[in-house]
Amino acid sequence: MNVFLIILGVVTVIAVLMYNSLIGKKNQVDNIFAGVDAVLKKRFDLIPNLVTSVAQYMEHEKSTLEKVTELRSLAMKPGISDDQKIALDAKLTAALGSITVAMEAYPDLKANENVMHLQRSLNEAEEQISAARRAYNQAVTDLNNAIEMFPTNMMAGWMNLQRKAVFEITTTERQNVNVHDLFNK
Amino acid sequence: MKSTSELTDFYYKELYPSLSKLEKTRTHILSQLKWYGAMGAVAFVIAAIWMGKNFGLLHPLMMGIVIGFAALASMTYRFMIQGYAKDFKAHIITPLIGAIDPHLLYNPDFVISQHLLQRSHLFQNKIDRYSGNDYVKGSIEGVSLEFSDVHAEYQTKDSKGRTQWHTLFRGLFVVAEFNKHFKSRTVILPDLAEKTFGNLIGGWLQSKNMGRDSVIQLDDPEFEKKFVVYGNDPIEARYILTHAMMKRIVQFQKKIPHPLFVSFVNNHIHIAIATQKDLFEPSLFTSLLDYKQAMEYVNTLNNTIGLVEELKLNEKLWSKA
Repeated sequence: MNVFLIILGVVTVIAVLMYNSLIGKKNQVDNIFAGVDAVLKKRFDLIPNLVTSVAQYMEHEKSTLEKVTELRSLAMKPGISDDQKIALDAKLTAALGSITVAMEAYPDLKANENVMHLQRSLNEAEEQISAARRAYNQAVTDLNNAIEMFPTNMMAGWMNLQRKAVFEITTTERQNVNVHDLFNK
Repeated sequence: MKSTSELTDFYYKELYPSLSKLEKTRTHILSQLKWYGAMGAVAFVIAAIWMGKNFGLLHPLMMGIVIGFAALASMTYRFMIQGYAKDFKAHIITPLIGAIDPHLLYNPDFVISQHLLQRSHLFQNKIDRYSGNDYVKGSIEGVSLEFSDVHAEYQTKDSKGRTQWHTLFRGLFVVAEFNKHFKSRTVILPDLAEKTFGNLIGGWLQSKNMGRDSVIQLDDPEFEKKFVVYGNDPIEARYILTHAMMKRIVQFQKKIPHPLFVSFVNNHIHIAIATQKDLFEPSLFTSLLDYKQAMEYVNTLNNTIGLVEELKLNEKLWSKA
């Protein structure tokens, strides 16, 4: 009888620990996603400023600027899912990257203190987003590992926890910059 | 910023008059010291023989005599080297620092503030004794920087109530302005646990480290192997430790043969290099013209001041003015 009670006690303690660690990991993912959201929003706030400041100079890139504005309004719509947000963010990063590259061709822009300050703020937001993504990926990996690894996988199955997607680098970001193209614009 | 070879040239060419003068003083002190040493040894032998005849060699008084002679020897040595060390710092180290950057201030007797070492969160014991020297302060390419030799100790009491002193940190402590804004605390320590106990148990031990913030796993395998990172904000820690920054820290660690401690607190980077010795001190027993000796002075200074460029602290890509 006593032995049975001890075993029951140990099993309960292990189960509670596993349960708590899984919940902890799940909350960490949500917590860091909130951080990702905050820095994404910071970038959204900078975009209208940038677009208005550079629009008068960059006649040829009108379509890119319009695309950026459009992506921003899409991403800021209430009620879109986390996965959609991640996908929109990747597109936005690519579009902003092409603006930065195009800016190189306008000496007037580089002389404009205001635009340069915006550019630095955007760089900062960019690095914060990249940091937040890496933090999110690590938290998601921790959670996914726990969901798939024995013995927490049994508990996770019972709790109905789902694997989450990590941020992926878009293919345009992964490609090396083609210097030849840059000079032939 | 000058290269190491330019500085070595400067050391041998520009400083040659001072070097040869100091070198003469050094050989003079050394011969005096040998003479005193011989006299001391003779005196000690006589004292020992006298003790042996009257009380026996194992008498407690013998211990007193040994300690007395040792204290006398170290006092003589310190007294004799004092003026030489002072001249060395005034005529060699001061111009050498001036050659690296004329805007740097150097004070041989001053030490970096104890408050900065405590603020860095690198070492957790409280500091009971704090000393140091060779303080340098200034700005390199618009980045303010200060460093000095530091010896921080804490004390414990053993079972008999005797006080014991332990070294918490001895080496070079550098504080510089960081080029990004941050509010959190990120501490990078040499990875001892993982090295000793392997990945699984070591990793578990790290996460159980009392008094530290939570462990932050980073995505650079080489960096992870060498260091463990504690921090109170996983996003900001990665904002500071970009892939490029982690690579630079690994590169810097490869260049120096001592344990490296780095922390990011209060918009500043704190770097502690545990050399375990007092730097920029002249050695009485090696020639000042010795190439290895010269390289040590030049390299230590150049690597420390060069940290600003090495870690690209002067890069102003962000909104921090």
